[in-house]
Amino acid sequence: MSTTIDKDDKDDKDDKEPIIHVRNVVKTFGNGVRALDGVSIDIGRREVVVVVGPSGSGKSTFLRCLNGLETADSGEIVIDGIPLDHNRKNRLEIRKEAGMVFQQFNLFPHMTVGRNIDLAQIRVRGASTEEARRNTCELLTKVGLEDRVDAYPAQLSGGQQQRVAIARALALRPRVMLFDEATSALDPEMIGEVLDVMRDLAREGMTMVVVTHEMGFAREVGDRAVFIDEGRFIEIGPAAEVFDNAKEERTREFLSKVL
Amino acid sequence: MIGPYASHQRRFFSPLDVVLLALLAAMVVWLGPGLIRAGEYRWNWSVIWRYMVRYDPVSDRMRPNVLLNGFFTTIRLSIWSGVVAMIIGLVMGVLASRRRLLARLVTRTYVEFARNTPPLVLVFLFYYFLGQQITAILGLEQWVAAMDPRTARIVTILAAPPRQLPAFVSAVATLGIFEGAYLTEIVRAGIQSVPKGQWEAGYALGLSSRDRYRFVVLPQAWRVVLPAAVGQFISIIKDSSIVAVISIPELTFQGLEVMAATYRTFEIWITIALMYFLLSSICSWGARGIERRLARHVAR
Repeated sequence: MSTTIDKDDKDDKDDKEPIIHVRNVVKTFGNGVRALDGVSIDIGRREVVVVVGPSGSGKSTFLRCLNGLETADSGEIVIDGIPLDHNRKNRLEIRKEAGMVFQQFNLFPHMTVGRNIDLAQIRVRGASTEEARRNTCELLTKVGLEDRVDAYPAQLSGGQQQRVAIARALALRPRVMLFDEATSALDPEMIGEVLDVMRDLAREGMTMVVVTHEMGFAREVGDRAVFIDEGRFIEIGPAAEVFDNAKEERTREFLSKVL
Repeated sequence: MIGPYASHQRRFFSPLDVVLLALLAAMVVWLGPGLIRAGEYRWNWSVIWRYMVRYDPVSDRMRPNVLLNGFFTTIRLSIWSGVVAMIIGLVMGVLASRRRLLARLVTRTYVEFARNTPPLVLVFLFYYFLGQQITAILGLEQWVAAMDPRTARIVTILAAPPRQLPAFVSAVATLGIFEGAYLTEIVRAGIQSVPKGQWEAGYALGLSSRDRYRFVVLPQAWRVVLPAAVGQFISIIKDSSIVAVISIPELTFQGLEVMAATYRTFEIWITIALMYFLLSSICSWGARGIERRLARHVAR
């Protein structure tokens, strides 16, 4: 599993420790569908893991289990040394550690862009209004939307909204970013701008778990790729290897359909 | 658009309209003789004016008399009941939207009880049973007895004369609890109209459950809740007439009193109907304005 992470700075002393540790996670929904059937993976710091697979294979469920949006039936999830259990405090810590970007953006429509990004900083991190706004402007500059701080989400294009959502997820300075089909709801001409922001983030050394249908992007940016089908990790390996010479028949079959 | 409906709508009278007109004509023929006899009724509207305003020789000014005072009492009663109902509705509505079984059980029981009991029965129940308890717990009687004149004046303006305060409080509690059940449902529906993704985004950002309600969900639920809540307030105004049975001097009660003194049945009840109508239509006019404004807000 250990792929070399050729990212520049290596000053973190517990660099070898995985930041995301998942063991035998099972998740069954009320209707009896087994969305995750005993999945395990360790993800290192600064690693970008792309998760691909047919729809309904459990990609999103896996991602949603990582920050507690779904509660796994059994198994073990540890994020940056914090076990995801029923302890409220641990769960809150993990929610702060892991930023999430949704397919449908989920910006708060009644707040300006700036306020969307300020909110968690003020309420969760206890930042002052000025402090929060300064950080918000920095984040918006990063995603190229510094002039839209006072706009409402409905006034922005889909691509712009998703960039704001990324900035918002970054506002608590998370150690991990989870992307749940971040470009699937976008018009084709807007996909590029969102992928650019994600690419920059990966380059800066953010640990990322990316569920995506953008195979070109996945191969280019992913350090490792996971192919998931029917709730199981069929294949995990270096992205280039998985995409170019998959070992498993099912992976090859899936990729031949989408590539 | 071209279709069976398009041509249908352009016609002036549909068969249904003809039937309705025929029914209306039949009613006139049937009730006509009675109406003509009623024409011999000697109207006396001056009674109404006398009971609306009176001349006060002490201050040398016109002052509101029983009917107008009843009108004001109805307004006060409605506002206080509306406030109580809104608080109950907000708390219970939030509880009803939670996943906890106990929270849902409590709110469900309350809503079903309040909605499936005639308000008149509730009034008696509260007045004779809970009303006494509430006023005792609040220490209302003692407070009223020890009240200085200035406080008494303020209380009279805001609620009711001190002497009637315990009954007024029971009436507000009854109406508030009764109407609160409807507001609970309105608030719950409003909360549930907010897309799930909004909750999830708030959760993922680390916001506490309280903050998710306060900053994310309730402000959005408000758009659905507000127009419906104003509509419910109109019901409160109309339903407030039932507390006449516990001698709250509101509009209907005063109407009964004036009728007992003058026997001018038609004049009094037509006047009172118009006064309720006036109050309610002002509110629904306001509700439409709010709705329009909120719609514009969303379309932004």
